[in-house]
Amino acid sequence: MHAGSGCDEGTTEFAMLIELDGVTKTYGKVTALRGLSVTFPEGSIGLLGPNGAGKTTMIRSLLGLIALDAGSGRVLGMDIRASRMDIRQAVGFVPEDECLFPGVMGVQFVAYAGELVGMRSRDALQRAHEVLDYVGLGEARYRRVESYSTGMKQRLKIASAIVHDPRLLILDEPTNGMDPAGREEILALARDLSHAKGMSLVFSSHLLPDVEAVCDDVVVLGRGRLLAQGRIDALKQPHDRQFEVRVKGDQFAFAGRLAARGIDSAPADDHLLVQLPEGTASAVLWETAEQTGEQVRALRPRRSTLEEVFLSAVAEQD
Amino acid sequence: MPILDQGYQHWNGQLMGHAWRWLTIARQGCRAQLKNRWVWFMILGACLPAFILSGFLVLWGLFEQKSSLLTPLLFLFQGLPDEVRAGPRGYRTTFWTLAFNQFLDVQLFFAMALVLLVGPELISQDLRFNAMPLYFARPVRRLDYFAGKLGVIAVYLGAIMVVPVLLAFGIGFAFSLDPLVIRDTWRVLVASLAYGAIVVLSAGTLMLAISSLSRNSRFVGAIWIGLWVVSGVAGTVLNQTIHKDWCPLLSYTGNLTRMRDALLDSQTAWDKVAALFKAGQDQIRQASRPNPFGRRGRVNFSLGPPLQPPAPPGAGRTSTANASGPWQTPSYPWQWSAAVLAGLGALSIWVLATRVRSLDRLR
Repeated sequence: MHAGSGCDEGTTEFAMLIELDGVTKTYGKVTALRGLSVTFPEGSIGLLGPNGAGKTTMIRSLLGLIALDAGSGRVLGMDIRASRMDIRQAVGFVPEDECLFPGVMGVQFVAYAGELVGMRSRDALQRAHEVLDYVGLGEARYRRVESYSTGMKQRLKIASAIVHDPRLLILDEPTNGMDPAGREEILALARDLSHAKGMSLVFSSHLLPDVEAVCDDVVVLGRGRLLAQGRIDALKQPHDRQFEVRVKGDQFAFAGRLAARGIDSAPADDHLLVQLPEGTASAVLWETAEQTGEQVRALRPRRSTLEEVFLSAVAEQD
Repeated sequence: MPILDQGYQHWNGQLMGHAWRWLTIARQGCRAQLKNRWVWFMILGACLPAFILSGFLVLWGLFEQKSSLLTPLLFLFQGLPDEVRAGPRGYRTTFWTLAFNQFLDVQLFFAMALVLLVGPELISQDLRFNAMPLYFARPVRRLDYFAGKLGVIAVYLGAIMVVPVLLAFGIGFAFSLDPLVIRDTWRVLVASLAYGAIVVLSAGTLMLAISSLSRNSRFVGAIWIGLWVVSGVAGTVLNQTIHKDWCPLLSYTGNLTRMRDALLDSQTAWDKVAALFKAGQDQIRQASRPNPFGRRGRVNFSLGPPLQPPAPPGAGRTSTANASGPWQTPSYPWQWSAAVLAGLGALSIWVLATRVRSLDRLR
């Protein structure tokens, strides 16, 4: 049972993690969200979109931090207009900004965050020690936060967000400005929370590999609209006539023979990307290999990368 | 690496409601400020006037009882007029009023200095380090946030203005051994507490508003000093040069002082004391005239007469408007000062509402 159980009973049963219906938000002449309707299932959801797509505005609307111009929504079964405080109590949020003020020790900062959510002082302090151990800051808990590295600060923010054991954790660009090692640590933490600890995640980022490493589902936003949504595995669908072929021997001779048969191919890393013409079966690849005397070591349909899914969705809106 | 790595554990505790979230913010702010040794020095310095006030009330209580404990200190009472020495209880309210008035006058300096030490970082630091999401992404309303920050100032000002008043009143009551002291002096207590509340609310909201104007705490401190010192100097200089009724209104602390005078009705107390001393002086002059029998008259002071009677407060002043001194209340109505302070408060709230706007912004 998570901390959100302290809220009203209506929050304990919900069909979807997040539901938004026709949400519109305008800042002066800038429309950040245009009638956005989207539903998120439980699990880990990646929120993708170019700069200005409306990711941060959507997160703020989920937390009830902004006044919507139109539309409605529910988070964990709670109305985003009527139950803003309950939502914030049940959700953990890791903002993009640093938001750490100096002069306090790590454990004090996390305990303070817990108290702000409504934990009693003693509970907050005890829990702060536990989550700092979990995020790997156990040894640094008594150091002042201004002495932390960027990666440590990011982990401290995550510890502050999960101190009350939320049912839903929202991370806004959590790997921005981090070195590869620190980034990998954050991704591992997020992955563990969502896949091993049963915490639902909304992972907002413009770094596609990060989303792919952590999330099961993805939502692509562009200019305040929903461009694509679905499970990452499903979005990365196999292509019927595109294959990745790896042969033992002369790859270029094999490519030449394919070209003679009117089949396009292009080298990629250690293999060839082959595009079969309409009406041609994959058996032609085996025939060609036999003719050239090459051994086919790998042959599999090519799948779209998340980057291709993203670029395709963004291109469609243009 | 810990010997037993428990990993992540779910938490089953109960969360509290939203009502006391401001208290968490205030407590954290107070804790943070206690690390500043200058805050400690200021609080300790502010204790001295409190000790003096308490000492005065103890002496007055003993004086009312004609206690023999006062024998070594009789010289302190030699300057008092006969009426006071004969029946000090009749002047209890007057002297208590003046004692609390003088105490609060001194404490106003410490209050301004303490706000200067405690206040500048309260909001400016959160702005500087983008810490607003720490609060507003959690179940904290803007009102909770402001109340928590104001609570920090209230705690420190309360420690030097409200707590000493309560303690001194209790000590004075204890040493008077007279339950009627409550009847005589409750207005002094209520007025002192009300004045403390006015200072807390006014200085607190003003400092928070200034703190929200800049991300640099030093600028905030400089603005506060300007408001405190420069406005006071400007009010005094203008008052002495162009002699307009509104000139003292320019001084922030002058307005607070005017409110204190009105609440404690200190002018009446000063007038009463002045009349007493003037009567005593006239009595001495009368007695010192040569008489037909060639003997000099003597005034019968039971505790011994002073060689020279003290001048009455305000003696020699030509008009109410031109005189100055602790006994002199400005001529303009206290409502003007109340309006100035209320205006500053409204301006502060507007600034806070404008500068700290939750996270409902584009970036």
